[in-house]
Amino acid sequence: MRKKAISFVICAAMAAGCLPGTQVYAQDGQEVVKLRMMAYNAESARATYLQYLADKLPGIEIEFEFVSTDNFDNVLNSQLQAGEGPDIIEVGGQTKLLARAGYLMDLSDQEFIGKYSDSGLQAYTVGEGVYAEPLQSWFEGIFYNKKMFEENGISVPKTWDEFIEIHKTLEEKGIKAQTMGAQSYEPMMKQSIGLVNNLFYSDSANMAFDEKFNEGEGKLEEAWLPAVQEWYKIIEAGCLNAEMLGLSYDQALDEFATEKAAMWECGPWAVETILEKNPDIDLGMFPIPGTDGEKPGWLVGGPGSAWAINAKSEHMEEALQVLEVTSTEEAQQALAKDNAGSSFVKGVEIDLGDIYADCEEAFKEGNVYAPWTAVWTNGNAVTESYGKSLQEVLSGSKDVQQALADADMTNADLLEALE
Amino acid sequence: MNTKKRDRVYFWMIFPAFAGFTVLYLLPTAMSFLYSLTNWSVYNAQLRFVGLRNFQKIFTDVKTVAALVHSIKYAILITICQNVLAVLLAVLLNRKSRAANFVKSVTFLPAVLSIMVVGYLFQYIMTSADGGLLNRIIEWFGGKPVNWLGDADIALYSVLITQVWQWTGWSMVIYIANLKSIDASLYEAADMDGAGSVQKFFRITLPLLYPAISFNILMSLIGGMKMFDAVFVMTKGGPGYATETIMTTVIREGFSSGRNAYACAFSVVFFIVVFLFSQTLTYVFNRWEEAIRA
Repeated sequence: MRKKAISFVICAAMAAGCLPGTQVYAQDGQEVVKLRMMAYNAESARATYLQYLADKLPGIEIEFEFVSTDNFDNVLNSQLQAGEGPDIIEVGGQTKLLARAGYLMDLSDQEFIGKYSDSGLQAYTVGEGVYAEPLQSWFEGIFYNKKMFEENGISVPKTWDEFIEIHKTLEEKGIKAQTMGAQSYEPMMKQSIGLVNNLFYSDSANMAFDEKFNEGEGKLEEAWLPAVQEWYKIIEAGCLNAEMLGLSYDQALDEFATEKAAMWECGPWAVETILEKNPDIDLGMFPIPGTDGEKPGWLVGGPGSAWAINAKSEHMEEALQVLEVTSTEEAQQALAKDNAGSSFVKGVEIDLGDIYADCEEAFKEGNVYAPWTAVWTNGNAVTESYGKSLQEVLSGSKDVQQALADADMTNADLLEALE
Repeated sequence: MNTKKRDRVYFWMIFPAFAGFTVLYLLPTAMSFLYSLTNWSVYNAQLRFVGLRNFQKIFTDVKTVAALVHSIKYAILITICQNVLAVLLAVLLNRKSRAANFVKSVTFLPAVLSIMVVGYLFQYIMTSADGGLLNRIIEWFGGKPVNWLGDADIALYSVLITQVWQWTGWSMVIYIANLKSIDASLYEAADMDGAGSVQKFFRITLPLLYPAISFNILMSLIGGMKMFDAVFVMTKGGPGYATETIMTTVIREGFSSGRNAYACAFSVVFFIVVFLFSQTLTYVFNRWEEAIRA
């Protein structure tokens, strides 16, 4: 009898565990809807914005899930394939693929989409449909320690050769010039594309190349080679070395923030962590210089990430409310507070701050571009392949032409998979 | 209870586990075989039959072949290193003393840690940054720092060392359990016949460790072939493709790049390689067992 009673209690407890949880209500008695938001920018880079959403939309509770870029597509794709996934997704280079596969809601009929400039929407447009709402521009340049530059009589470089020369000057004085977390495929990939921006995309006639690349007609090995060979000079000069392949992003950030290195290539999302580690650091950023000292250099970037809505979301109405609030000037300013970047909402001006004063000319000229997020269909996979091959270039087992050929081959394989 | 009724009871007892095994393993495996013959992609809704094209691509893609070679090399090396060290430790520590018990506990301790935690820990210990613990120790002894995780020639071995460190204690415990079951009178008889320690080890201990050796070797080999997490945390398959394994490639191609059918084909290759390895080992161990019994 006693055993039966215990069994009954255990079964009852298990059954109770299976029952739906208690509903949560906002202060005004309205039921709170939980929205899953999956992002590859950390929660700290959205803190002010998320607080703003919480204040503006008390009936919506956002469960923010950060998944690092290395793993983001793995996690997202497996969830979407299972017919699940987050309600709101932070998308970038994979938007067109996801939209074509029917995973994203078409936002083109939404009123708030009209507030955005065409340049912001271009990367998220497939045919007549708009599948994501741009958050802000992203850009990546070279962070530098102003104090270390001043103490060593160094000014911001105007050409790629000057940039390499700075390395030599600092290294001669026993200072590590540039740190790089080359354990990740990203930094070399982005830095070399900075040179491609300067030497290839700066000619507007070459902007059509990316569409040809999407069709499998354009080849990086032919179009980008001179620019990437120019970038390779930095490896030949020993400014980037194989030791950097053993450094992670966090370790490189540590070295720069603790003033063990004078320069580090990254973007505004890292500023908060740098300042947390060293509040006294005097930080600046300059664009990646090209070969012509009269021109202001280029940043790698463009319409950065964007919010898309899962086509199978059970809370589309609430997800649309979030996107609508995001399109307001207040939300755009809140976004910029934790992660500097200009807004694509027409008429919204964002003050990026002193850190980016040396990039002002590049911004004015519109010298911000990242082909894989702006136009390429298979952007993420191709840049990963290219970046991994550049790691082999740094370790001396490949040359830049082979690295570009690898990227072309990856693009061809992926286009074949889409046929 | 008659036999039929008893069989029915047994059937219903194993049914939940069998149903789970079918739904979660047999069915997905069969589906992978089928999908490997198609163009399935997460980004492509139109499914069509492409024959053996994915398999052909696997063996013509140097990166994928390299991943296969890395996995096999890693699996063989970890099996040898882990088991040789574990047998030696088990024989040395198979005694009743507080010191031996303490060393056993310390050796087993890493096995209770998550692979991810161990990976992150060693990423900092082995880093080429100034604060890298391992290089600091080497420099303190007057040596030159080593790029443990960034040198394509040694990165795979660096990951291997961490996994040997983590799992040797686990194998050792299994060997010790087996050692306890060996009849002490065999050693006494050997002593009376004048056998030395080495002879006793090779003539008595090693043959009678057969059950633990076969289990440990099979587990290490399959575990080595499946290596993913430590590589993912410590090197992300790099530098370049130097530490890519079958699993990291399957994940990258299948989930990141959306070439699901290609990843399925590679999983089929993985299945065949593991099947061949395990069948060969089982055959060798059976022959060994027969020889011992004879």
